[in-house]
Amino acid sequence: MAFEKGARPLARCLQCTKHERAALPIRTFTTSRAALLETTNDPASTETAPPPARQPMSMNPELVSRPSQERRVVAETGKQPVASRRRRYMLKQTQNIPFEQLPFQCFQEARKVLQEDRKEKLEQIRVQRERMERLQAQNVAPQDEGRKNHRLKSMRESLDHLKILADINDPMVKKTFEDKQGDMNKPIYRHLADKKWRSYKRQVLMQRITQMNVVPDVLPAVDPVVSTSLMFGRRNVQHGEIVDSRVSEIAPFLEIQPYDQGERLYTVAVVDPDVPNVKKDGFDYRCHYLASNVRISPTETMVRLGDLSEKQVILPWLAPYSQKGLPYQRLAIFIMEQPKLESAADSACRSQEIDVAKIKEAGRYTKRHGFILRSFNTTQDLKPVGADLFRTVYDEGTAGVMERAGVIGGDIEFKRKKIEPLPYKKLPGSRYR
Amino acid sequence: MGPPIRGVASGRRFALRAKASSAALRIPAVDQQKALAAYSIRLTTAMVLPARPMFSAAPRAPSMATLAVLESALSGLRISTSAAIGSHVSRRHASHQAQGRANKAADGAGKRLGAKKSGGEFVVPGNILFKQRGTLWFPGDNCSMGRDHTIHAAQPGYVRYYRDPARHPKRKYIGIVFEKNQQLPAPVNAVRRRKLGMLAYQMPQTYAVQESADLLTGPQTGLPGNAEMGTAKPSTIRDQPNESRGIKTIKKTGSGKVVDEKLTLRPGYQYRQANWEIGRAAERSKAAQMVKPFVPGDRFAAWRKKNIRVAKNAERRAMGRGGKKGGKK
Repeated sequence: MAFEKGARPLARCLQCTKHERAALPIRTFTTSRAALLETTNDPASTETAPPPARQPMSMNPELVSRPSQERRVVAETGKQPVASRRRRYMLKQTQNIPFEQLPFQCFQEARKVLQEDRKEKLEQIRVQRERMERLQAQNVAPQDEGRKNHRLKSMRESLDHLKILADINDPMVKKTFEDKQGDMNKPIYRHLADKKWRSYKRQVLMQRITQMNVVPDVLPAVDPVVSTSLMFGRRNVQHGEIVDSRVSEIAPFLEIQPYDQGERLYTVAVVDPDVPNVKKDGFDYRCHYLASNVRISPTETMVRLGDLSEKQVILPWLAPYSQKGLPYQRLAIFIMEQPKLESAADSACRSQEIDVAKIKEAGRYTKRHGFILRSFNTTQDLKPVGADLFRTVYDEGTAGVMERAGVIGGDIEFKRKKIEPLPYKKLPGSRYR
Repeated sequence: MGPPIRGVASGRRFALRAKASSAALRIPAVDQQKALAAYSIRLTTAMVLPARPMFSAAPRAPSMATLAVLESALSGLRISTSAAIGSHVSRRHASHQAQGRANKAADGAGKRLGAKKSGGEFVVPGNILFKQRGTLWFPGDNCSMGRDHTIHAAQPGYVRYYRDPARHPKRKYIGIVFEKNQQLPAPVNAVRRRKLGMLAYQMPQTYAVQESADLLTGPQTGLPGNAEMGTAKPSTIRDQPNESRGIKTIKKTGSGKVVDEKLTLRPGYQYRQANWEIGRAAERSKAAQMVKPFVPGDRFAAWRKKNIRVAKNAERRAMGRGGKKGGKK
C-alpha cells in the first residue's frame, strides 16, 4: 500500500533491532493528560478541555492510517483524520510516552528553560492585571478620563502580548495548531493563525485585489484584518477565480475568520463594478447581495449567504452573469465592520446593529443597479475589514441562468465599436524632396 | 672487433645525403664552378669576396657553407628576385586599418525616433505616440507598448505626458485621457476612468433559440420546455431531421440479387447515403459476414486456432523458408 511504502523506511529504522536507538522508547505526539495540563494551561481562559475518550485504534482519527478506515472515520464520527497519513502511521507504530518521561536529556533541559520562561511570563501577566485593576478602581478628574482610558488600552495591549509570549514556545501548542485543532478563543492560536494567514493567503488576496483594480474601483482602500474563504456548495473558490455561471447561481458560503477577541456584527456586500452602460459608454455598479448584522466570532465563522434571516438581508442573492462579448465581470465581496458599541463588555457583542427595515423603507440602497458601496459605507459608518473576489464570464450556462433569475438581456451580444481612423493629413510640400 | 659504431655510420650517411640534395636542388658541382667563374668576372673590383682564396683550389668542390654565403651575397645583385631561389623579402605592414570602423565612421541613417504625437493631441487606438530605443517613456493609462518599445494609443482620447510618483518614482509615462480637461496621473484611490467601447446587438435568433432550448429542456431545471420557441423553421438542409428530407429509392444489383437502397437528400443537395452508412458498408460485406465473432474466454476456440497456426508454421518451416529458429511456433 502506498502509505506504508512511504513510511516504511522510517518505520524500519525505528523498529530495527540492530541499533541501540530502537530499544529506546520513542516519543509520540499524542497528548497525555499530564502534558495537556502542563502545557496548555492558558491564562486567557480558565476552562480546560477534558482529554478525548480512548477510541479503538481503527476508529481513532489520530491513528487511522488506511484510506478505507479514514473514510469510515469520516463517515461515522464526522471527524477528519489528524495531520498526515504518514504521521498517523508512525504514531500507531510507536509507544505513547508523555513528554516528561522522555529519555532525551537535552530535550528535558530545554523544556525546563521554557517552563522557567513561562513562569516568568505568568508572573508578569499577574502583575499587569493587578495594575490594570488598580487603575480601573481609581477615580480621576473628568479631564483625565481620556488619558486613563488610553493608558488602560495600552495596558490591555501589552497584556495580550504577554499572553502570546507565555505560550508561543510551547511544543504542544505548535503541534495542536498544526493539527488544526487550536481553540480560536485563545489568543495564542489566534495569533498563530493570523501569522499564517498573513504569510501567504493575505498577500495573494491583496495582489488579486490590486491587480484587478477592485480597490480603487469599488472602495478607495481596504486593509483586510479578517480572512475570507468562499464556497459554492462544496466547491472552494480561490480569490479572483473565474466561476462557472451555473455554479455561482446559488448563494455561496462565506467563511469569515476574525483574529481578535469577541463577537462582532458585520455587513456583507457583493458588488459587480463592470456592468456595461452603452449610453454612457462606461461601466456601472450592480449589487448582487447585501446583508447586515451578520454575527461573527473567532469560533463561529461560517455564513450561508442564502440562509440569513429577513432581518439581515437587504438584497438577496442575484446570480452573477456576464453578457456575451463582454470582458470578465468582477464580483467583489466586501466585509464591513459595523460601528462600535461604546458601552460593551469584552465578551459581549461589541457592534451596533443596523436597522435593516429602515434601509429597506428608504429605498436608496434596495436598488441593485447603480449601487455605490462607497456611499453606503459612509451613510452607515461602516469600516471595510475584509475582502474577497471572484469573476464570471459568459459561458454556455449564462443565458439559462439569466432567464431563471428573471433578468432580460440574455440574447444581447456586445461587439467592439468601430473607431474610424484619423483623416490622412498631407504634410506641406516643402517636406518632400 | 666490436659492433660497428652506429653514430659514426649514420653521420656519414647524412653527410652524403646532404651533398646529394644540394646537387639535386641547385647545379651539378662542375657547372657550379663554371658559373662561379662567370660571376666573378662580372664582379666589380670594389667588391670584397670573402670566399675568394678558396677558388684557387680549383679541383676541390666548395663546401656547403661557402656556397650559402656566396648565394646570399649574390642575391642582392640579381635583377629579378625569384621565389624559387628562396630570397628573403621584408614585408610591409599596414600602418592604416583597412577594415571596421576606421577613423570613426560617420552617423548612420536617422531612425526617425521620437514623439509622433504631442501632448493634448487627439489620437485613436493604434496610433503611434512615441518611437524609442529602450524605454525612455512607459505606457501609462490607456496606452500600450509594442515589441520595439513603441508607445501606442489603446483608446481614443487626448495624449498626456506625465510622471506618476505613486506608481514609480523615476519613470515617465505617456497616457490617454478621454476629455480635454482631464489630467494624469489620476487621483489615488479614485475610481478608474474607463470606457466600454462596445455596442449591444441582438444575437441572431437561431443561436438564442438553440441555447435556451438546450438549457430549458434539461430535466434538472424543472421548468417547462419552451415549445413555442423551438418551432422556428430551419433554414438549411443541415437543420432538418433525416425523416423530413427527400428520400429516393434505387435498385441496387451488386451481389447478384436486387436490393432497394434508400438515399436521402444530403447537404450539397445530392441524394446519397450518409457518411456513416458508407463507413459501415464494410461491415455488411460478404467477407465480414464470414468472420466469426470473437468470444472472450472461449479457450477451446483459442486452442484450435493455435493448433492451426502451429501446424501452418511447421509446414512453412519444412518448405525451407523462414530461417529463424526460435520464432513463434
